[in-house]
Amino acid sequence: MTARRLVALFRRIGLPERLLAVLLLVIIVDFAANSLLFDRANSFELRRDDAERISENLILATRMMERAATPGRDRLADDLSSSHFALDWVPANERQRGAVGLANLRAQIVEIAPELAHSDLELHLEELPGRGNIGGSVRLEDRSVLRFHTHAHAAWSLTAGRIISFIMPTLLLVLLAWILLRATLRPLRNLIGAARQLGDGLPQPVPERGPDELRSLIRALNEMQERIHQSLNDRTHTMLAIGHDLKTPLSRMSLRLDDPAVEPDVREGLQHDIDEMRMLLESLQAYVDSDGKAIPIEQVDVAVMAETLVNTAADRGADVCYFGPPHLEIRVRPVAVRRALSNLIDNAVHYGGNARVFVRRDGGAAEVTVEDDGPGIPEDRIADALQPFVRLDTARARDTAGMGLGLAIVRKAVRNENGTLDLRNRPEGGLRATIRLPLTSD
Amino acid sequence: MIRPHRLNITAPALTTAATILLVEDDGALRTLTARALRQSGFNVLTAATGAEMWVTLRETSVQLIVLDIMLPGTSGFDLFRRLRRESDVPIIFVSARGSEEDRVLGLELGADDYLAKPFSTRELAARVSAVLRRGGGLDGIAESTSAGRVSDAIAFEGWHVSPTRRELRSPSGAIVDLTGAEFDLLTTFLTYPQRVLGRERLMELSRARIGDSSDRSIDVLVSRLRRKLQAEGSDAPIITVRGVGYMFKAEVRPA
Repeated sequence: MTARRLVALFRRIGLPERLLAVLLLVIIVDFAANSLLFDRANSFELRRDDAERISENLILATRMMERAATPGRDRLADDLSSSHFALDWVPANERQRGAVGLANLRAQIVEIAPELAHSDLELHLEELPGRGNIGGSVRLEDRSVLRFHTHAHAAWSLTAGRIISFIMPTLLLVLLAWILLRATLRPLRNLIGAARQLGDGLPQPVPERGPDELRSLIRALNEMQERIHQSLNDRTHTMLAIGHDLKTPLSRMSLRLDDPAVEPDVREGLQHDIDEMRMLLESLQAYVDSDGKAIPIEQVDVAVMAETLVNTAADRGADVCYFGPPHLEIRVRPVAVRRALSNLIDNAVHYGGNARVFVRRDGGAAEVTVEDDGPGIPEDRIADALQPFVRLDTARARDTAGMGLGLAIVRKAVRNENGTLDLRNRPEGGLRATIRLPLTSD
Repeated sequence: MIRPHRLNITAPALTTAATILLVEDDGALRTLTARALRQSGFNVLTAATGAEMWVTLRETSVQLIVLDIMLPGTSGFDLFRRLRRESDVPIIFVSARGSEEDRVLGLELGADDYLAKPFSTRELAARVSAVLRRGGGLDGIAESTSAGRVSDAIAFEGWHVSPTRRELRSPSGAIVDLTGAEFDLLTTFLTYPQRVLGRERLMELSRARIGDSSDRSIDVLVSRLRRKLQAEGSDAPIITVRGVGYMFKAEVRPA
């Protein structure tokens, strides 16, 4: 469970962060290796250095102190002190103990100056910074004590400041690396945006930027975009050409039917067929047109539009009602929106047997809802219903006119107006389609 | 669709048979369309190409041109532009594309009406009659601009009506949809403003127009029209004259 969560978490980490993590890991390993190998070797030399200096100073100081008279020792200690090696003398028997880990240093000093062993050399880390980081004392022959403070170079104490000064450059480096990585990967993000809009309207070439691999990827995607656009265009043109070419013979048929010699029954039947073909071609045209934004946006009374469609359907004998205000103005492409509403009403009447159309203003949007009391759509097929050329009725029940473009046209039209289409089954049964359109186009 | 008044719809109002020039490249369709127009009582001349059209126009005077905009050779729209420059003859253009963009573009270029293929004899005759009638002036309310062409906009109380586009716009400029029957009723009212019209007369006048005939009573259509024409805080300009019929009370003028 946790493993899976970890994997999920890992997947969520972006490319720049992963690259950064790699960089960070390299830096950490490098840092660790350096401090382990290099620093250790170095610190030994430093210790030896310090040991020699301390032993020399101490031998010199003890000899001079032992020769001097007791009252003058205070002054002498002061005189012998330098900024790197401070000395003071105490007569009493008070000695600090307890320094751990300096045994190595003591051993080294004693090795250099064996006589100091007899003086009971003691070393400790200074608790307070200021006078150096090493302190110590030796016992003089008269049991008085000479104390000293000095600064050793070795990194015995890792203070917070030291850690920060070590890490600071690394942190700066990481920040810089992150900024650079993000910049490097920005074209990738543009690419993702472009890929998402692929096939939606005109192809928009992504500028070729970034490293070579990315450039070739962008170029490949741009070419793919062009090909998709081309093939969509071809499809559109083929469909339009077929529609166009069919209309002249259809016109001839329609006019031939008006010949008085044609039997009225035959005429009515054939006229019905022609009307159906015309509707198919019109829906095809509407689907293709709904891409186009050539028709300008206009101020439209959507309440009257819905009511007029309801009246027209009612005049044809359908069970359709309108509920809403007499007027509600929005800015849209009227033809596309009219067709969208008309498709929703026709669908409701056709599949549900009736339609109730509600119009209301909801904040900055106009909401048009079309409900019916029909069987609705199986939940798992709602998404299919919005796809072009998909018909939900089974082949046996294929008594319906149309090419399965109705809702696809609605969705395209509504999207073009920055609106939304929501399709869902009503809990009481039947289908409810809701269109929301912004009141203003911008 | 049942069309009982298929053949007698053509206006008895038209005094003499108008001459119509039909420009259509498809031979069979040309013959059929010409026959349909003749049956409806018009004189018909035909042309298969733009060139033939120019020849005919030079030789004869025609009252209306029915033009298929997808003619081979020149683009229908180019032909159209040239025609508009050189003559004021009303034009109905026929398109197989049926695309809304074509329709809008055609009307923008100055076409008087638009007919999408496939069309029936009745539809063709009705549109031709309507354009000819408009060319003759809407009983004088829409004054002719030049050489018998009608200004294509009528206004009342801030509302605008375009008979060509069959479009009604509210005082705020919004498109207000009307059904075919409602538009015909409104056009009738606009033709006879400030005159009391009986129900029978209204029905008769409206039915002679283009829209799909509706079985709805005049009362229903008037009430729908009123609802749509009702602006905030003011009444619709249609008043009921008890026992007689209705009257359009607003002042109507060409816009």
